Amino acid sequence: SSHVKAMGKDECKTMLDALNKVTACYRHLVIALGSTSDSQNLREELKRTRKKAQELAVANRTKLTSLLKDKSISKDDRAEYERLWVLFSSSMELLEVDMKRSLEIGQDFPLKVPTRHLIQTGMTGSTTTVAARAMSVQNMKYEADSNIDTADLRDLQCEISQVSQMMEEMEMKVQVAPWAVEAKQEAGAELKSNMSVGNSSVGVISICEEEPKEEDGGGNRDAGFASICAVLVFFVIVTVAVVLGYLVINMS
Amino acid sequence: MTIRNTLRDHGQRYRPRMACLKKVEKLLLEMQDPKTGVKSQPQRLVITTIPHAITGEDIIAWLADRFQVDTQEARNFVSMLVALGYIYPLQDHRRLVIKPDASLYRFQTPYFWPTQQWPVEDTDYAIYLAKRNIRKRGILELHEQEHYNRLHKWMNHKWDFVVMQAKEQYRAAKERKKPDRVVFECQERAYWVVHRPPPGTVSAMDYGLDRLTDPNADEVTGESLCDLLVKYCSTYKSHDPFLSNCLPSNPWLTDDATYWSLNMPSVEIPTKMRVERWTFSFAELLSDPRGRDDFRLFLKKEFSGENLAFWEGCEDLKWGEAATMREKAEHIYKTFLARGAPRWINIDGKTMEVTVKGLKHPHRYVLDPAQTHIYMLMKKDSYGRYQKSPVFKDTVKKAICPEEHRYSDAQLQQNAKKRRPSLSPIILRQMEQEQRAKMAANVDITQVMSKLSKQGKEAHVFSSGRDQKQS
Repeated sequence: SSHVKAMGKDECKTMLDALNKVTACYRHLVIALGSTSDSQNLREELKRTRKKAQELAVANRTKLTSLLKDKSISKDDRAEYERLWVLFSSSMELLEVDMKRSLEIGQDFPLKVPTRHLIQTGMTGSTTTVAARAMSVQNMKYEADSNIDTADLRDLQCEISQVSQMMEEMEMKVQVAPWAVEAKQEAGAELKSNMSVGNSSVGVISICEEEPKEEDGGGNRDAGFASICAVLVFFVIVTVAVVLGYLVINMS
Repeated sequence: MTIRNTLRDHGQRYRPRMACLKKVEKLLLEMQDPKTGVKSQPQRLVITTIPHAITGEDIIAWLADRFQVDTQEARNFVSMLVALGYIYPLQDHRRLVIKPDASLYRFQTPYFWPTQQWPVEDTDYAIYLAKRNIRKRGILELHEQEHYNRLHKWMNHKWDFVVMQAKEQYRAAKERKKPDRVVFECQERAYWVVHRPPPGTVSAMDYGLDRLTDPNADEVTGESLCDLLVKYCSTYKSHDPFLSNCLPSNPWLTDDATYWSLNMPSVEIPTKMRVERWTFSFAELLSDPRGRDDFRLFLKKEFSGENLAFWEGCEDLKWGEAATMREKAEHIYKTFLARGAPRWINIDGKTMEVTVKGLKHPHRYVLDPAQTHIYMLMKKDSYGRYQKSPVFKDTVKKAICPEEHRYSDAQLQQNAKKRRPSLSPIILRQMEQEQRAKMAANVDITQVMSKLSKQGKEAHVFSSGRDQKQS
């Protein structure tokens, strides 16, 4: 039974990771609402992502409540399940808030009304890759009706009340003191993660973090450097071409 | 997990500012119009070009034209928009000001618009800081590092979630194309500059304390809130040491602690002002220990001191230590509530039933119904008689009204030199407890004797009446 319990714990963690991933993606999608990144596709992505989130939520809740109800578990196990429960309920809180906000923004920014403009935020690309990540698929296929921006809002309202109800039930039925849970991660744990290294992201930051003086100077410096490189490369290629041409002519 | 109840939805939507924010949002939509809105231009960065950048001078000009106002007023208005976070600067992002030149700005996405409906959550801030840590070590500024440490301490139980969610949000962000990623990072950063301002700056969204109820919702019938406030102010104005002179002198101003020593909790002769406050309301009388002493004296003469003793016992139970709760509850029951108790209090049958039932599993508030009943009894009955009684009249006559101190500057300096710390609160508390013990010992004998003698005289009438009540 300890083997079964270990499997149960791992299953739980996997499901929690999945819920966490979908919650994060959903947040990214909601942030794009109302901006120039908004589109019919985004609305469909939002709908499908949140439905997936809700499925995962129910699955997680069922699993965790059954684990927590078991009176025969050891104290360590119980502490671990309570930690997982806090992870789960925190995810749900984020999800609930984002769902409510997506309703509000969705209502304020209908897509079909020509006098209501989307906010020019500078974001123009699509969010399809984010949604694909949430749904764990390679590519998203879009099949919704063209009135999804208004039709979906009614579904969304129902789902919000369902989620709120679920969270109230959770709080009533499961007696876990969240403040008693001790996190496993220390401060700065994310600094040790190997996610940060990546030239492209470093390039992105430097653009964001530059101060006005540095940005101009940096830009000029980089542009100058790049152009010198380009010129050098150009000359090298020309020299090589001339040499080869000369050799070819001499050969023939 | 926060405690979920109606208080959780403490959206500050009742603030007058909400109405202004709604108007601003309408205005922002107008600015987006491709024909009549603000002109936008692309922002050229090293590796990419991002559209929808607007210059400071363009926004100001547009606004001045839209509202037909002069440039200075338009500039003030736009600086408010920037301070609130509707528009954010692309250069010098830490200073939320509008520069009336070619400095670039961009519109913020609706999700990050300032709105008091959605309280700014510390969890989100923690996730944001963790994400920045992931992107690059040592990128957090000093105040952000301090916030991070503080959040890690008090939000420790959620920290695993914070790190997990930060990683996932970071990965999700990487899915987007480079220009959009840059924009997103700038947006998020701008949002947090507004809501967690760097030191030395103030957030324009600062609104003071949270409001938990809608002040416009409940209708106050009869006296409006205004009237009550006016009545309160006019009653207490002369008693407020801030608003009027306190006699003999304000210790904080003259370094003379006479005022405090004259107003100690258990002083023999109270001041006139203090006695006057006892007539304002019953609560005032009870909350002042000296007032309670006087009232106790009066009740002793009336042979109804058990009411006040019971009330004090209930307060002790409510505010006392949990360890002694059970004993206290039992003692109170034996002394005041049980049949044939030495200091039996007169409460109605239903309350008695509820209380006795609750005492089987005593907790802090088990005596609340009985206490309220006795409080109202004292307020309606004894309080009025007290104010007309010779005890009170005597106290009023004896009350002192100290002369106002008139110190010269030299004397004030002398006083400042002679400053000494007052009695430690620990000592004061010990004195209080000693006095209480003394009183308890005293009362047990005298009151009980008087009660028994009273019982003896009126045994016939009383016992039948009491039996009826207790059955």
